[in-house]
Amino acid sequence: MSALRFAGTTNAEVFTPNERHCLEAIVSRIIPADTNGPGAVEVGCALYIESALRDAYRSQKSAYSAGLAALDSRAIERTGKLFAALDINEQDRILSEFELNTRVGEYQDSAAFFELVRRHTLEGMFGDPLYGGNANFAGWDLIGYPGLRMYVTPELQRMDVAIHRLRLSAKQLMHGSR
Amino acid sequence: MAPVNLPRTDVVLIGLGAAGGLAVLPLARAGLKIVGLEAGGWFRSADHRPDEIRNNIRHWPHAVQKANQEIPTARNGRDGPPLPRPDYHPMMNGVGGTSLHYWGQSWRLMQWDFKVRSETIRRYGVSAIPPGCTVEDWPLSYEELEPYYDKVEYAIGVSGKAGNVQGNISRTGNVFESPRQREYPMPPLRAAGFADHMAEAASRLGWHPYSPPAAINSVPYDKRSACFYHGFCGSGGCPVNAKNSTAVSTIPQAIATGNLKIVPYAHVIAIESDAYGRVTGARYLSDKREYFQPASVVLLAGYTYENTRLLLLSKSKAYPRGLSNNHGQVGLHYMSHTRTGVVGLFSFDLNRWYGTPAQGTALDDWADDNFDHSEVEFIGGGNLLVPMEAKPIEAANMSTFGKAPRWGSSWKAFVRENAARWAPVWAQISTFPFEDRFLDLDPAVKDSLGYPVCRLTVGLKETEERAMRFMQEKAERWLREAGAIATNQLPLFPIGLSTHAYGGTRMGENPERNVVNGWGFSHEAPNLGILGASTMGTSGARNPTLTVQALAWRTADYLIRQWKFIAE
Ligand SMILES: Cc1cc2nc3c(=O)[nH]c(=O)nc-3n(C[C@H](O)[C@H](O)[C@H](O)COP(=O)(O)OP(=O)(O)OC[C@H]3O[C@@H](n4cnc5c(N)ncnc54)[C@H](O)[C@@H]3O)c2cc1C
Repeated sequence: MSALRFAGTTNAEVFTPNERHCLEAIVSRIIPADTNGPGAVEVGCALYIESALRDAYRSQKSAYSAGLAALDSRAIERTGKLFAALDINEQDRILSEFELNTRVGEYQDSAAFFELVRRHTLEGMFGDPLYGGNANFAGWDLIGYPGLRMYVTPELQRMDVAIHRLRLSAKQLMHGSR
Repeated sequence: MAPVNLPRTDVVLIGLGAAGGLAVLPLARAGLKIVGLEAGGWFRSADHRPDEIRNNIRHWPHAVQKANQEIPTARNGRDGPPLPRPDYHPMMNGVGGTSLHYWGQSWRLMQWDFKVRSETIRRYGVSAIPPGCTVEDWPLSYEELEPYYDKVEYAIGVSGKAGNVQGNISRTGNVFESPRQREYPMPPLRAAGFADHMAEAASRLGWHPYSPPAAINSVPYDKRSACFYHGFCGSGGCPVNAKNSTAVSTIPQAIATGNLKIVPYAHVIAIESDAYGRVTGARYLSDKREYFQPASVVLLAGYTYENTRLLLLSKSKAYPRGLSNNHGQVGLHYMSHTRTGVVGLFSFDLNRWYGTPAQGTALDDWADDNFDHSEVEFIGGGNLLVPMEAKPIEAANMSTFGKAPRWGSSWKAFVRENAARWAPVWAQISTFPFEDRFLDLDPAVKDSLGYPVCRLTVGLKETEERAMRFMQEKAERWLREAGAIATNQLPLFPIGLSTHAYGGTRMGENPERNVVNGWGFSHEAPNLGILGASTMGTSGARNPTLTVQALAWRTADYLIRQWKFIAE
């Protein structure tokens, strides 16, 4: 046994095509592509979530299936269309309802589902690219995170310093620059 | 299948974490043969990569093989509703235990923490002790523990600036600290822009900021590197061995004596005892086989929840209610730090990205009995801390201070501007034991082997809520003085499942009210010693580990001196 043994992974499909479209639509509303740079879909958040559900977050797969289905049925009830096919204003309206749990009834856990997807979207956007998100370090660029470096000089901990951005994932850092 | 009987040893130690991994050094040096049974495995420094998702979000999935099977449950009061059960255990399994990835803040307690009951009565009268509170003075004083604090600071390596060396107060250290015999072995961790900025603000308020002590090397120590300040240290192991976990400090030295044998992936399921009430050894599982390790002395160091649980699970003729529990004290006097904080938003970049959370600025002006409590209706108080280090997901998942929605384009614009402009002030507040807060075995929830998990019975006290609100107000003043343009109070975190869990096997002279004596040995099973914060009767306003380690060394020293009396 090794201390680094991870839970087993499989390549089984996590989502149906409909579920995948629905998730992509949600994450692209949580972090849209706009003048401030690429959004969640562009940096790979949906892929991040799908691959996490395959192993580390296996136990949350059913919450996703139920939540995505609830979102689609809310969309169909209101417009006759799936969530992914709605225009962004309608999508935002339904997502807000989920976030605030304003329509209790057919799906009790809508706020919990919204928080789950939001949390995972932030992980995909701002986490280390080695997990499949944060493509081209766009998430780190967005918030001005100056990047992983093994040794940080005292100057780089001053408040008024402009820090040269490095673009390394943890794996590259550990295998490269020491 | 009957367990495999192993050759007898002097001492069998259960758990090689912060406490157990420290005690092995004096024991091995004294020539005692120790077998250390550890549920986790060994880590190499290269396993400790800066990885927020693995370490902080998913909580070390590679190192909680055992802990995550036995996450304690909790309920609010004896008849109260169950509280939500987290999906991870806050502690970990590995040689070095949770000291592998702790923050490394290494405080001593204050004189007052050892004498809370008598000092409170002396200064404020007996009515100041909250109703139902079971706090006692410790069976030892700060002065008796001081030499062991000193030994531990030098053995593992602690960076800091003394505020009180033998009564000489230094304004660059913590002026409230109790007297120490000498300086720290290393200077404090390096200064950082934002930490200095906060220290200046505190000084303007007339408070006494200082750089908190840490078991992290500010300069090379004992052939180990100085800190690289790369960040990812809070909940991260150190890739350059500058964080002084027992795995890189005391354990290798103990192994070098030839007297310590570590058995990794050994999951202890019971401590055995004979008809006379003496313990005889530990039973454990390894790779699905059962073994019995006989020993003259058993030392239990599996962290508070497991210390309590293993005792309660280890029933025998002599101990029908669980080992060392004939007085019904195992599990009682449970407590954990209450915590809260305030986050502040600034109009300029703080550059907290790098460094370590142990590197910030701390204040004890509102801790313990450092201020007059006549008007406040609680005892004790909190330590305030501004940590360095901001990891990207954490930074982006910031409070929006009511200035933006939590998602969408305007949120994105908000975090773009502000992710580097906020900081928390944390308050860690002393808690005290109460009659109605305790640990026992959950009647329904079991671990993967079928043993009941530990159950917490907790509940917030009014005095605690007042203390937390009081500390929030101080934190807010500090942030405003430093130029925060908006502040937001963090939730009040009451006693519950914690990385700072105290009690369950409390230390005290009276066996009617305590499990272990003033040396850490069981009042009932004379050759059973217990290491860890489960023996502590007060928490102080600071993290437990240095005190846990000083106590562990003292228990080991006592065992060495009294070997014939205890072991034979
Ligand atoms: C993220 C984090 C940050 C922290 N920061 C600080 C800090 O800055 N300062 C501070 O003072 N404290 C800090 N702490 C708390 C600190 O980690 C604990 O106080 C300390 O580790 C407790 O020591 P211990 O030996 O009792 O438990 P641990 O260090 O957890 O060690 C217990 C060991 O026992 C083993 N074990 C348990 N059960 C069994 C069994 N049945 N059989 C065999 N082996 C077993 C475990 O695998 C583990 O290795 C932090 C904790 C966390 C999680």
